[in-house]
This record gives sequence, structure tokens and C-alpha cells, in this order.
Amino acid sequence: MNKFIAVLVLHCFISPAWAEEAKLEKIQVDTSVLAVERGVDTFMNACHGCHSLKYVHYRDLAGFGVNKDKISAWRGDSTLDAAMTSLMSDDAAMQSFGKIPPDLSMMTKAREGGNSYLYSYLIGYYLTPEGMTSNHVFPETKMPDALGMSGATDPAQRSEVQAKAHDIVSFLSWAADPHEAERLTLGYYVIGYLIILTLLLYNVMLAVWSKIK
Amino acid sequence: MANKIIQWIDRRFPLTSFVKHELTGYPTPRNLSYWWNFGFLAGIVLTLQVVTGIFLAMHYKPDASVAFDSIQHIMRDVNYGWLLRFMHSTGASAFFLVIYIHMARTLYYGSYRAPRELMWWTGQGLLLLLMATAFMGYLLPWGQMSFWGATVITNLFRATPFIGDQVVVWLRGDYAVGDDTLTRFFALHYLFPFLIIAGVVVHLVALHTVRSSNPSGIDLADKDNIPFHPYFTSKDFFGLGVFLIAYFTVVFFFPHSMIEAENNIPANPMVTPNHIVPEWYFLPFYAILRSVPNMVGGVAAMFLSVMIFAFMPFLDRSRIPGGARYRPVYRVLFFIFMLDILVLGYVGYYPPTSQTIAIGQVATFYYFGSFLLLPFISKAEDQWLFKKGLPPNIIALIESEAIEKRILPQRRRRGDIT
Ligand code: HEC
Repeated sequence: MNKFIAVLVLHCFISPAWAEEAKLEKIQVDTSVLAVERGVDTFMNACHGCHSLKYVHYRDLAGFGVNKDKISAWRGDSTLDAAMTSLMSDDAAMQSFGKIPPDLSMMTKAREGGNSYLYSYLIGYYLTPEGMTSNHVFPETKMPDALGMSGATDPAQRSEVQAKAHDIVSFLSWAADPHEAERLTLGYYVIGYLIILTLLLYNVMLAVWSKIK
Repeated sequence: MANKIIQWIDRRFPLTSFVKHELTGYPTPRNLSYWWNFGFLAGIVLTLQVVTGIFLAMHYKPDASVAFDSIQHIMRDVNYGWLLRFMHSTGASAFFLVIYIHMARTLYYGSYRAPRELMWWTGQGLLLLLMATAFMGYLLPWGQMSFWGATVITNLFRATPFIGDQVVVWLRGDYAVGDDTLTRFFALHYLFPFLIIAGVVVHLVALHTVRSSNPSGIDLADKDNIPFHPYFTSKDFFGLGVFLIAYFTVVFFFPHSMIEAENNIPANPMVTPNHIVPEWYFLPFYAILRSVPNMVGGVAAMFLSVMIFAFMPFLDRSRIPGGARYRPVYRVLFFIFMLDILVLGYVGYYPPTSQTIAIGQVATFYYFGSFLLLPFISKAEDQWLFKKGLPPNIIALIESEAIEKRILPQRRRRGDIT
């Protein structure tokens, strides 16, 4: 019976991982404000032209501790309360790509493999022998190689692109789950409290039962 | 002062006698193991779901054009909205886990047998309500898996004889899953938990009539009963502590494992996800559905696979008390059946290939086979055990129980016990 429960519990945690297909570069995101700040910077330059972040507001960046001057520079005419929507209209996107670039607010949670998927996708561009760009992770993607990975030939250039991709993913990971840090901290307190409480309850139970055993 | 208030109430309402009868004095077999904690835990999870659900409903908008956005509003802007939402999404899985363990315990120890058939059947009704509630709740975030899961499952009702198409439209409120489906599912998702609460009351009234079963399978006469409070309140609360540690570990550290990635993409009727899977708690039944090549047959098999548990009191013909404990054959059957359910769950998760379909069909066959053969197996096992002679400890237990039962009325007449 114990084993049955263990298997059942295990089963519900690992099941999403089974579906993974392409081999992904496993990464750990950097949760520091500086990394996120660099990520927003690259994002605004390389991605925001096409992709929006409709659930993220400029004030959320300020709340996280990102430099205020940088935020004013990024938002231009938009208010601090505005969502980080992109400038490209759906029609224009359909014209250029035959597809609307997806909103990236939830992207790191919307794909199997999450952060690692995103990172592998961004650095997965390469030049085919025929001189076309393709992608290891998402071969038929309509998105151009925004970070220039396929054109980066020498190792220094490549690691620069990888660093950029890493920062972007760190930012997008925060964007998809902005309360994560708070959640983890609170989690340690709650679990710590519950462990003490449960130990006390265990002793109460022993004391009560000692009367009849 | 407090005493005066209680007296005042007692003259108008049987408060003290109710508490005495149902809690402080309620006689409970002293040999209950931790497997008997799960009924209480189910009550706690139900409460957690109702409370978090009510607060979520204050911020959620059941409108197809803004439902997904309103979830993001809860997750990002509402104070501790993320906590409410993760508690609720994790709570759904916790609920099924607790209920499945509760059912497995009942099956293992034979607690469904006379006189507890009504407990088992009200439980069966509660399981159906729980499934319906979870299914409708899963539509509310209005993600891709919400939408397509609801589309696939409501579509199954086409198998209804004669009026299939009408039934599907009636369920959806439209020809396809859409805004009307969302609003009615929300209304019912809010209603059903209260039906569950009513069902739980019936379940508990029945419980307090027939009393808890126990691992020995014998109705322990009063000698081995102890008051529920403080013995089992203390045990239940300790169990609750352990449960909460596990539950909040998921809520705080792995909450996304309970939300399918595909469901973080807004519902889009134009794009079918390449792999539509139900939540883990429906997977075994889903595997049974897919194992039958014909749709009507599959739906019937799936429905039967849930309902067949209700027949257990009739299917089990053994007279041996204590469920699987003193019944070696039944015990083996039980564990293979559990394994079979895991295999079905595994098959249900994967996109069908010829191999998984074959495994699924064997597992489905075994699933129904173990119910259908149970009358014969249990009868044969019963005869074999009686011929072989029961273990001395259980004979002693049965005898002492018989003696207790005989002297019980005398003690009651003498006024020793109430
Ligand atoms: C020139 C416009 C353009 C730019 C710039 C751009 N993208 Fe895209 N992106 C697209 C389009 C179009 C798609 C849809 C691709 C498809 O589904 O085929 C897409 C899709 C994506 C996806 C989803 C892939 C999937 O699995 O469906 C991600 C993630 C993504 N982009 C990230 C980025 C990031 C990060 C940047 C900045 C480095 C960026 N994009 C820059 C146009 C763009």
C-alpha cells in the first residue's frame, strides 16, 4: 500500500516530463535583479518589436527593483501603469510571418521544458548547408534568428549570444511567475512552522494515548 | 458565563448532547490504523477547496473573452491571489489522492460490506460529484487544455442513445464549447461543492449509525471502543499536520507541476493541441475509454468502470472478516488491481500507439475481470479458508466479540454504558 501511494504521487509529478522530445540545453535561470534588468534590456531591443508582454506592466519592473531611469527609457511615451504591449499590429504580423508572434508573458510556463526550452530555442538557430537558417528545437519556426546565433561563428560571439539568451530567459521566467521569490521565502516559513506544529501534535497524541495503552 | 450561555442554548437546541453523542462520547474502535485518517482529511480538503474557491470567485470572471486574463489578474495583482490559486489547483489533486486512498482502504479492509453498504454508496455518489466538480472547474482557466478537454469529454455524451446530439448541445449551451459553456460550468462548479457537503452529511449520519469499521473487520463491541475525542481527534490532527506539510510543499515549491503547460496558453478553437490529456486523476478511466474501439462501447465501459465499485457489497461473497488481512487470495487480487490501475493511468497518459493500446486493452480486461470473477473467487477462497481453519488469533477475536455482544445488553440494562 505504501508503495502504491509512492508510485501514485511520483506519477503525478513526473508525468509532464515524459512528453519532452527534442534534446534541450538544461539551464538554471538567474533570479537576481541585475540579470532580469539585462534581460529586459535585450528583450526591448531584440524582441519587443514583435512580441508583447500584455500581463507585465512597467510598474511591475519598478516593484521588482529594476532601475527607474532605465524603465523610463524603455517605456517612452507609455505610462508606468501601461502593459508592455508591442508596437506591431496583428495585421502587420500576419503580413510578414503568416502568424502573430505569441505573447511572451507566460511563455516559460506554456511549453514543456519551460526555461530550458526557451533558451534552447533561442540559441538553436543554425545555417543549413544551403545557407538557410533553421532551428534545432523548432525546425519549422516562422521567427527569424533575433539574437543572431546562426551568424555567430567565433566562440566569443557565440557565448555572447548565449549570455543574452540566458538573460532574456531569466527575465521571462520572472515575468511568468513574478511572485516566485516571495512564494519560496514564505514557503520555508510555512513548512518550518508546520513541522514544529506537527511534532507538537505528535506529542499531544502520544500523551493522550498513553492513558489507555 | 459560558456555562450559562450553553445552558440557555441547551434548553432550545440539543447542543451538549449532540457534541457528547457525536464527538466526545462517540465510540470508536481503538485499533484503527492511520489508513482511517483519510476520511477526516477529505473533509479538510473539501473545506480548503470551498474557502479558496469562494475567494477566487471574487476575482474570477466567467466570460470567455476575459476568463484567462482574470486568472492572470489573480496570479499577479490580487494580494496573495497566487496562493489562493495554487492552493485550489493543488487542492484538486490532493482531494483525489485522499479520496482514492480512502477508497483503497475501504476495498482492502472490506469496509463496504454489511452493514456499511450505504456508506459505500453515498461515497460513490460523492466520488461522482467530485469528478463532475473537478471536470467543470478545469474549464474555468480557459486555457487550451481546459477548452479541448471539455470539448472531448462533452462530446462523449453523443453516445447517449437517441438524443445524443441534443444532450451535447444541452450540456454545452451551444453547438461548440464556448462562452455559454463557461458560464454554466462556473455556475455548477460553484453549486456542486455544496451538494457534496450535503452528501457528506448523509455519509456521516450513516457512519454514526453503523460506526467505523476497523482493521480486524469485526464490529468490535463496546469493550474495545474508545471515545472519538480526545483519542481520534489527536490522531486526526497529527495526520492533518503530516498532510499539510506534503500539500504545502507542493503549493509553495512545485505548484506548476499541477498545471499542464498547454493550459497556460489561452483557449483557441482554431488550434488543436497535439496531445489532449486529462488530469492524472482521470487517466485510468480515460485509458479504459480508449481501449474500446467503438465509441459507444468505450463510453459505456468508462462509465461502468467508475460505477462498478458500487456492486462490491454484492460481488464479495466471503464471510471472513477483516478484508484482505485474513484473506490471502483477496489480498493478492487487491494489489494486482492497484497495479492495474497504475498501468491504465500510464497508458492513458500516452498518445495511443499500437503497443499502448494493446497494454491498455489487457489492463481494461483485467480491470473488469477482477470485478466479475470476484464472486467466484471470494466464495472459493472462503470455503478453502474455513476448511483449512482460520488462524487462532482471529478465531479468538471472533469468539470474544460474540461474548461481548451477548453480555452487552446486560451491561446496558445495568446502566454501565449508554
Ligand atoms: C521579427 C519578429 C520577431 C522578433 C524580433 C522575435 N520574434 Fe519570437 N516569434 C516571432 C514569430 C513570428 C513567432 C511565431 C513562430 C512560429 O510559431 O512559427 C515567434 C515565436 C516565439 C516563441 C515561441 C516559440 C514556440 O515554441 O512556439 C518564443 C519563445 C519567442 N518567439 C521568443 C522570442 C524572443 C525571446 C525574442 C527576442 C530575442 C524574439 N522572439 C524575437 C517573431 C519574432
